[in-house]
Amino acid sequence: MNGVISVGMADYKTARAPELLLTAGLGSCIGICIHDPFLKVGGMAHIMLPTASGSLGGNPAKYADTALELLLREIAGMGSNKSRLRAKMAGGAQMFSFPGKPPVLKIGDRNAEAVKQELQKHGIPLLVADVGGSFGRTIYFDVGTGELRIRTINHGEKVV
Amino acid sequence: MEITQFQLDALREIGNIGSGHAATALSTLLQRRINMSVPEVWAVPFEQVSVIVGQLDMPQATIYVKVEGEAPGKAVFFFPVESAEIMVQTLLGSNEPLDLYTDEMAQSALKEVGNILVSSFVMALTQFSGIPLHPSVPALAVDMIGASLDAIFLEEGTLDDTVLFIDTQLTGIPKIEGQFIFLPDEGSLKKLLGAMGL
Repeated sequence: MNGVISVGMADYKTARAPELLLTAGLGSCIGICIHDPFLKVGGMAHIMLPTASGSLGGNPAKYADTALELLLREIAGMGSNKSRLRAKMAGGAQMFSFPGKPPVLKIGDRNAEAVKQELQKHGIPLLVADVGGSFGRTIYFDVGTGELRIRTINHGEKVV
Repeated sequence: MEITQFQLDALREIGNIGSGHAATALSTLLQRRINMSVPEVWAVPFEQVSVIVGQLDMPQATIYVKVEGEAPGKAVFFFPVESAEIMVQTLLGSNEPLDLYTDEMAQSALKEVGNILVSSFVMALTQFSGIPLHPSVPALAVDMIGASLDAIFLEEGTLDDTVLFIDTQLTGIPKIEGQFIFLPDEGSLKKLLGAMGL
């Protein structure tokens, strides 16, 4: 598709209207979408884990805290003012459950919580959080309108 | 740990024996011929896993079994939904189309397939290495393959930059295709190789 920028796992990208950002097959990972409605620019990060501290290191785009920082820096570089930014997120599912064994660490929930906290720290309002459940999501983010289209296999499709 | 070419070959051999047993079990179960590719050993950043599984939002039936014991790991079978439906129809002797998303009978039949495949894989691994291993109860997701795999890889809440796994393609006649991957947990690889004197 023309003007669709694909964001891989542990990756982040920025875009200008009329471009769309896409990330496919989010499970317990989260897609963070940032939007400046005035400049019609924005970005998306596909994070996998809550925080870089105390982890095995490597690619900073893998973690909620460091990925958001990288994304915000790049959006600022496009001339955007942080006070105008708005956020949406989707993902953070629990894809598998084992009978009789409650998951001790629900990584999807922890990811969602970490993204919320990081956004709060940066003072960016979170408008939509389509998180949890036990199904995968593919998301398209329109940086011009701020619309987030969420596709699932068996749980419908919606624009938020 | 540094992995030498020799150890990679040994891993491939583990994959060969284990997946061979699993393919035979599947063949017996379905009463169909199942072909198996020569297993490949991958050591890749997880972000590049789409190179191996293809389109990340393709719907697939993913059966996930934890391998427990002295050299734990994760065993994952995934089949395109159409292949999984054919397998379940064959197993249940049903001519009616089945809905894998909602039909509990179909889902538990699929889990049973996973159970049998992983058990035979694990048995071969145990015979080969002398390390006692046993499979957990299987879990199933019929959903986007990328979503299922990220949940499996991230289950422990950590992720090495490089993920090592054994990958085998299964194809059956007619129209069954699937993939099996085994991911040894950290430390398990050393134990498995050590047990084989490598």
